[in-house]
Amino acid sequence: MKADVAATQRTVLSVHNLRVRYDTPSGAVTPLRDFSLSIGEREVVGLIGDAGSGKSTAALAMMGLVRPPGRLISGQVLFGGQDLMEMDEDQLRALRGKDIGIIVQNPRSALNPMLRIGRQIGNVYRAHSDASAAAARDRAIEMLRLVGINDPERRVAAYAHELSGGMAQRALIAMALSSEPRLLIADEPTSGLDVTIQAQFLDQMWDSVQQTGSAILLISQDLGIIANYCDRVAVLHDGRIVEDRPARDFFAAPEHPYSRDILGLQRAAASGVARTSEPVAPGEPLVEVTALAKAFPIHGSDKVVQALQSVDLSVGPGETLGLVGESGSGKTTVGRCLLRLEEPTSGDITYRGAPISGIPKEALRAFRRKIQIVFQDPYDSLNPRWTIRRVLQEPLDLHTRLGKAEKTARIRDLLEMVGLDQALIDDKPRGLGASAMQRLNIARAIAVDPEFIVLDEPTSVLAPQAVTGLIALLRKLQKELGLSYLFISHDLTTVRFLCHRVAVMYLGQIVEVGRVGQVFEDPQHPYARALLSAHLFPDPTRRRVDQDVPESLSGEIPSPVDLPRGCYLAGRCPFAVDRCRSEAQPLVALEDGRQVRCWRVIEGDLEGAA
Amino acid sequence: MVARYIFRRILVGTVQILSLVIAVFFLIRLLPADPVSRFVGLNSSAEAYAQAERNLGLDRPLLTQLGHYLGVLPSEGPGLLQGSLGTSWVTGTPVLTEIGQALPITIELLTFAFAVALLISVPVGMLAALRPGGAADRGVFAYSLFAGSQPEFWWGLLFVYVFFFVLGWAPAPLGVLSPLTSPPPPVTGFITLDSLIAGRPDTLFEVLHHYMLPVATMVFILSGPIIKMVRQNMVRALGSDFVLYARCAGLPKGQVARYALRAAMAPSVTLIGILYGFMLGGAVLIESVFSLGGLGQYAIRSVLAFDYPAIQGVILVITAISLLVYLALDLIHAVIDPRVAYG
Ligand code: SF4
Repeated sequence: MKADVAATQRTVLSVHNLRVRYDTPSGAVTPLRDFSLSIGEREVVGLIGDAGSGKSTAALAMMGLVRPPGRLISGQVLFGGQDLMEMDEDQLRALRGKDIGIIVQNPRSALNPMLRIGRQIGNVYRAHSDASAAAARDRAIEMLRLVGINDPERRVAAYAHELSGGMAQRALIAMALSSEPRLLIADEPTSGLDVTIQAQFLDQMWDSVQQTGSAILLISQDLGIIANYCDRVAVLHDGRIVEDRPARDFFAAPEHPYSRDILGLQRAAASGVARTSEPVAPGEPLVEVTALAKAFPIHGSDKVVQALQSVDLSVGPGETLGLVGESGSGKTTVGRCLLRLEEPTSGDITYRGAPISGIPKEALRAFRRKIQIVFQDPYDSLNPRWTIRRVLQEPLDLHTRLGKAEKTARIRDLLEMVGLDQALIDDKPRGLGASAMQRLNIARAIAVDPEFIVLDEPTSVLAPQAVTGLIALLRKLQKELGLSYLFISHDLTTVRFLCHRVAVMYLGQIVEVGRVGQVFEDPQHPYARALLSAHLFPDPTRRRVDQDVPESLSGEIPSPVDLPRGCYLAGRCPFAVDRCRSEAQPLVALEDGRQVRCWRVIEGDLEGAA
Repeated sequence: MVARYIFRRILVGTVQILSLVIAVFFLIRLLPADPVSRFVGLNSSAEAYAQAERNLGLDRPLLTQLGHYLGVLPSEGPGLLQGSLGTSWVTGTPVLTEIGQALPITIELLTFAFAVALLISVPVGMLAALRPGGAADRGVFAYSLFAGSQPEFWWGLLFVYVFFFVLGWAPAPLGVLSPLTSPPPPVTGFITLDSLIAGRPDTLFEVLHHYMLPVATMVFILSGPIIKMVRQNMVRALGSDFVLYARCAGLPKGQVARYALRAAMAPSVTLIGILYGFMLGGAVLIESVFSLGGLGQYAIRSVLAFDYPAIQGVILVITAISLLVYLALDLIHAVIDPRVAYG
């Protein structure tokens, strides 16, 4: 396959048998052993692999760089017929940033914290041209405008810490593109960006490849991005490329066992085990939330941040409700209010019909036993100095009167249930990977037979194949134990496989709630439509770049301190009319059972609109 | 913004100084020392003792004494509020005048020493950081060990022996001017500045010559820790993502080094300030070895003589200068590093 590509297109960069070694006090590590890859003109190549598989090392190595104390041991990096490994520092310097540009993860730490970003972009530009300082500044402004930063004349004077993550990412992109490189290496270029913005940016990047004939190496863990934008996929495993094929072939029939692992969730979907829309045991709602509101006072001001407003939702026994939305939509706050980790400003939350706000302090413990939470970062919520036994015994000590032997038996059961090796019982969790850690967190959450678990982005730090396993585990536990879940996530792919119903949040309000099939197949609310269309489902046969994307949202998300009077989306909605700006929108039920917060949808105005 | 910040810092500093002065006032009076018998001798008569006690003002209630010192009792004469630090019990000269003579010497000594130490340490520290474990790095390590192996006065004596006694390059360690030279008319109190003002380059040269050895001794001692600190901050900066990214972007070597240096200097500045404040009173051994008559020597003399007004004055001045130095360095830090907010 690789030979085909190289034959039909001119190769921009090719790497042969690259080996990188780190000599650490505890022995040598070789993240790249025998790494070979080539990228042709006008090609977007995706590089995937586990976290820590050496993808970022490979990205740097392609510029002839290694993060100290690593070393390039052997191999070739050919660019335009020349071997980077044989160039001297000056030649390399002239090449880097000019012919090969790079965008790295963590844009904020990659920007110099002490220099204004305009200066930084200008410095890079001047390093590769003989532009004057003034010309470099103009170029910086031009580049910032190009990457979609509003008001670039003002932003050139900003420092990295004054930028949001997304803005810093764009500044980095502006820097990488300022000298119009022939190859752009993009290492998780959209990490930390919200989905609607991510799609915007990737579209732009893809367009520019088509226009300028440059090439991109796109490194990502997100199969949605890979499927939607890459022509070819290379899989890095164990320090070498184990599979390198056109994207369509790869997603249709991965060859290497490791690739099959990665594609687990997609393949599970293809073979028809996607969520059926019926909860295990329908019945009276277990948890019901009405008119929930939460406002955080701003320190040193009499204004407040409206985190939640008139949130209504219910979760039945054995049901999973998904809560989706971009960062700042308030989805996490809902979960925290349910557990009384946060006191709501107003509104009611009932559990089995009884209001939880009325629970006195003494009874709170019994209540907490029934309702548990699993957090996003598995490392944060476990004490690394405790043994696994101690971690799991703590809730048992707190909520049960079991004897010592019974507790041990219970702990072994729990480990078994979440698929962890029972032999680990007296180990410290420190050595476990993120996925095993998250399983341990789940074991702790189910230790005292809860009925309801809030899952707050439990998969967001996991690698794709670990996500598949965790989702399968959650579904298994739900079936066996009859659990109800509130699943908070920004990853629509996992929501689709785990949830029965889904609620879409925007700026502290639910804008649409319905069965997963309804919302995912045919979203109604303009925000839900935009969110769904920006989400990149890992399916290379329906690539975003091959389709006409429906009109998306424009502008920036309003500040939750000064919310608009009417519909919160009015400033960005392509369907907004005057009435939207003046009338606050209530959540109204449609005939098909879902609820939507948009009068135009309710009146049927938007029927058939893109 | 910045002006308000400076104003607030000075206000807070004044309160701090005042509390410290009051605390010191009581603390030294709690010491099991008897300054009166020190002045009149142990075998003096009861009347002489009482007379001396009255002269020193120690017969009055403590709060009256404090009120007098602070200058809030107008009937008692000028105090702190009126800009007086009292009179030395030993010499009878106003404490302010005495400190005014000693302080400039210490400041000159420290400023020269820090300037030279920084000029040497920053490049050396950078060099060591560029190749951790390399020749420069190992050399620096050996030097730090060596310089830190002996107390500072011992190095001072050794320097005097070698450079004055054996080689004869340095003048005798007897102050900042040779006894035969008349000092320039005091304008600023800083003898280097005063000789410039008086248009006497030969005196300036002589002063610098006299400062040479004590400054060299201090540089020898200070450089070790400063190099170590610069090296550490530099290693951290060089390993940071933005330096790596600057290399990815193909910036020239010198520019990459400047990026790293600036990041390394920001935290160093604060530490240098603390070191400077510490040395204001801590340079006493060097001052003694070279008979410079600086503030450290004055402090020791006052303590040994139970000269309460002088002790209080020294502490007040050192604190005030330290606070000003910290403020200045925090401002410099904020200029280097825009992330520092005036909070
Ligand atoms: S109410 Fe108006 S602005 Fe709001 S979503 Fe509906 S159409 Fe858009």
